[in-house]
Amino acid sequence: MKYQLVSGFETHVELATATKIFCGCTTKFGGAPNTHCCPVCTGQPGALPVLNKKVVEYAIRAGLALHCTINTVTHLDRKNYCYPDLPKAYQISQFDKPLCEHGYVELESGKRIRILRIHIEEDAGKLVHERGTSYIDYNRGGVPLIEIVSEPDISSPEEAREYVEKLQLTMRYVGVSDCKMQEGSMRCDVNISLKERNSDQLGTRTEIKNMNSISHIEKAMEYEAKRQAEILDDGGEVVQATMRFDENTGETYVMRTKEDAQDYRYFPEPDLLEVVIPQKKVDEIAATLPELPLEKYNRYTKVLGINPANARLLYKYKAVCDFFESCLALGAGVKNTANLILGTVYSTLNTEEEKELFDIKVSPENMAELVKLADGGKINITLAQMTLAKMLESGKPLTEYIREEDLAGISDGDLEELCRQAIAANPKAVEDYKNGKEKAISGLYGYIKRATQGKADIRKADAIIKNLLK
Amino acid sequence: MSRIQQLSSALRDKKISSEELTIEYVKRTERLNPVLNAYVCTTFAEAIDNARAADKLIAKGEGTLLTGIPMALKDNIATDGLPTTCCSKILQGYRPYYDAAVWQKLKSQGAVLMGKTNMDEFAMGSTSETSVYGAPLNPVNTAHVTGGSSGGSAAAVKADMAVYALGSDTGGSIRQPAAFCGAVGFKPTYGAVSRYGLIAYGSSLDQIGPLTSSVQDAAIVYDAIRGKDVRDQTSLCTPQGETKLTGDVKGLKIGVADEFFEGINPEIKSAIDAAICLYERAGAQVKRISIPALKSALPVYYIIACAEASSNLGRYDGIRYGFRAKDYADIDDMVVKTRTQGFGREVKKRIMLGTYVLSSGYFDAYYKKACLIRQQIISEFKNVFSDCDILIAPAAPVTAFTLGYSGGNPIEMYLSDVCTVPVNIAGLPAVSLPCGKDKQGLPIGMQVIADRLCDGTALSAALFFEKEAGIVIENQGDIK
Amino acid sequence: MSVTEKQLKSFARLARLDFPDSELEAFKGEFEEMIAFCDSINSSVQGDAASIREVGSRRIEWEDLREDVVQQSLPEEKILSNVNGENGYFTVKRVVK
Repeated sequence: MKYQLVSGFETHVELATATKIFCGCTTKFGGAPNTHCCPVCTGQPGALPVLNKKVVEYAIRAGLALHCTINTVTHLDRKNYCYPDLPKAYQISQFDKPLCEHGYVELESGKRIRILRIHIEEDAGKLVHERGTSYIDYNRGGVPLIEIVSEPDISSPEEAREYVEKLQLTMRYVGVSDCKMQEGSMRCDVNISLKERNSDQLGTRTEIKNMNSISHIEKAMEYEAKRQAEILDDGGEVVQATMRFDENTGETYVMRTKEDAQDYRYFPEPDLLEVVIPQKKVDEIAATLPELPLEKYNRYTKVLGINPANARLLYKYKAVCDFFESCLALGAGVKNTANLILGTVYSTLNTEEEKELFDIKVSPENMAELVKLADGGKINITLAQMTLAKMLESGKPLTEYIREEDLAGISDGDLEELCRQAIAANPKAVEDYKNGKEKAISGLYGYIKRATQGKADIRKADAIIKNLLK
Repeated sequence: MSRIQQLSSALRDKKISSEELTIEYVKRTERLNPVLNAYVCTTFAEAIDNARAADKLIAKGEGTLLTGIPMALKDNIATDGLPTTCCSKILQGYRPYYDAAVWQKLKSQGAVLMGKTNMDEFAMGSTSETSVYGAPLNPVNTAHVTGGSSGGSAAAVKADMAVYALGSDTGGSIRQPAAFCGAVGFKPTYGAVSRYGLIAYGSSLDQIGPLTSSVQDAAIVYDAIRGKDVRDQTSLCTPQGETKLTGDVKGLKIGVADEFFEGINPEIKSAIDAAICLYERAGAQVKRISIPALKSALPVYYIIACAEASSNLGRYDGIRYGFRAKDYADIDDMVVKTRTQGFGREVKKRIMLGTYVLSSGYFDAYYKKACLIRQQIISEFKNVFSDCDILIAPAAPVTAFTLGYSGGNPIEMYLSDVCTVPVNIAGLPAVSLPCGKDKQGLPIGMQVIADRLCDGTALSAALFFEKEAGIVIENQGDIK
Repeated sequence: MSVTEKQLKSFARLARLDFPDSELEAFKGEFEEMIAFCDSINSSVQGDAASIREVGSRRIEWEDLREDVVQQSLPEEKILSNVNGENGYFTVKRVVK
């Protein structure tokens, strides 16, 4: 391709505080229209905003997790624009002194996507048009957001996907947002321009607003890059514009051009004073930051020896990692724990969301007990899988399925006796084995598994049988 | 004793009940308000109910100085379930569903609300003539305006249709009408009184304060409404306990800045000079000082106030409350028509000016510069107060205009705020009180300005003059 | 400082106001008068144009920020008490001309 894609992201992330940014109303998603409202978040004349401490804390947390510097003296500004879902006709946001600046997101390749700034602001309400009537619900109005603005460092849809996933993951790891794109708690505005390869000259950019799914982002970027390339190839000029992506057609279309660009008339919010954040507070927050996604990935692969593909499947979900690591802390082995989670447990969790939530009926304690039996060879992996499946289904503890006596029941003597029976019952297989068909011996395993309902240690049985047949 | 002290002790001593007192005020208001137009909405039925409740509080010995006392609120202070319109068509029919912090405080003390007072639309004006309900008239001379924007509050207090009233002061809107009507007006330190529930004009300048018939009463009302409010992050902790006024000015250092006297009506200047002499004779030290940055105070004020107003008034779109235009094509069209039909000329002009000074390309030249000069004014005041306890200045360069005069002279109207706006720009407390009359018999107002959070100093120094000079401003013959 | 009618119209659009052509001329005069009045600051400014909040402005301390504790929202009847709502929503009905 003749052109290089140049893209920057503005990502809005809803913060998981209990209350709105400027009033005590709940931030709960949904609810009957206009029931999470008060004079402040419906813009009643005379009502005043009161800044939520947790919003500042969470934003700092997000900033530190993305390696930003924190401006310990900061203020809010008014962004003036008139829209029915914005009850004050201005959004309280930050303009010239964002809370966080100059961070980055590191991709697995080691490439860094620089973060220009992160600021706090309030969300707007919801406006729906139906049969000639416009309906407005202010429940979401005043829900706290951070806007994460990246530098135009993203050069492919694949990088965009990884960037968004990494952001999502980081926010979830540090616990400031659930980043559910389908519920709108994470939304992206994507800036796209093209430059000729080996040139420093950036092309005119367009901005695709309000993207709420990663696959749409990829499709929209591909489409838009192609559209711009065709214009340039035809000797035309890309017009600076704000676009929308149509999910149905997979195409982008122009919402407005620069001609009618807004003039937001930012100025410092006079109803709120400058905020002073003690450095001590920033240090405190930094000290409570958990291991970040990339650090975890590196530890899983390099220290725990998990292969990269499996490590990726684990560290993508914060709750899974928590569960996994609890099991390890209880003495369960890495390999069996990981395999059981990725195999048996994941097979019951069908969606990304379910994995993210990881609401399973087995406690880390029960899981660890089970894994330890497998680790110690007391049960084989098949039985472990079967038992785990039953436990996941019923929520009953391990002891419901495997009793002490079951484990003690197959003594070495009993096992040897079983092996003898197996040999006697399978003369053909024994014959084949003796004639050099190594694999024929597996027929005997089946006999032992059936006879013991899978409780026998097959490796041990294998050794006994081979010894008997010598 | 001050008026509030007198009435309060009469109530406590059972010489009169709050209900009887309120009925007297209702009768007086029914007689005078049709002439003066001070109230745009009366709440007599509620007032009688409140008075009865106040009588019970008093009987239980739980009353305060303000329990059972009839009072008024400016129409830009939110009152739960009662009309609050800022005297604008755009807020026609609006009834807030919450109380302003000040009203909550007073109500809990058993205050008796007589009604909401007239004002310039959204507090934008110096004569109260931009009110959608028509202008209130000056009780001293009904051919003249009350001043503004808290003109209705000043008139109600001066004509004794309320014992006290609350107003709001963004650039002089309490002090100037007090001066024009011969009442006492007090603008506290910015932040001393919660703005929660005050419908905003210029948020960084707005402050609620009392209009009363005496300095002592101003202090009493101030004490009842001040203090930090968690709902207003710009509010401040004020000194604990009652504001005690000694009226002692011996050794008090008084600054007199030339800039306050430029272009002042000579009659006013000589009245203030005479007042200053009185202080000197009582042992105060008078210093001639200069605050050069005040030259720019007026444009700074108009730029900042209008910028903030253009944003504050964006919310009046006909969607959630108030007036909505009738014929429109879509939401956008509805909003534009509602605002165009709902706002008066002066308000639109200020919204446009505010939009202009904030817009890209003009922001640096106007808004940003105004903020910088504001800082300069603040620091010059700070220097002055390192060496002075109070400043004395006129409250206005002129006495009350005749009705209708303002219409043809917009810039002259802006200039009439010259003495009061510096105080708002710097967030200082200032009292305005009568200090004489001009040859037409119209009251002349004097300002006593103190440093931030030295509200008591300003009030105490004002009390001295009030007692010493004994100025009496009579109402016009039929407003007795 | 003079303003063109086009500029005035664009400020009016930002302010969501409409000045019919018949009023524009008169308004333009008054508006220019106000701007001229405000222009007097341009001759008097001193110092550099640092951040407009830098000097001497008041600040809020960390402890004074609001704690994240949910307070009861108001009932929908109150929220909608100043309008004719529909099913709990604020509404604007399109009036088709």
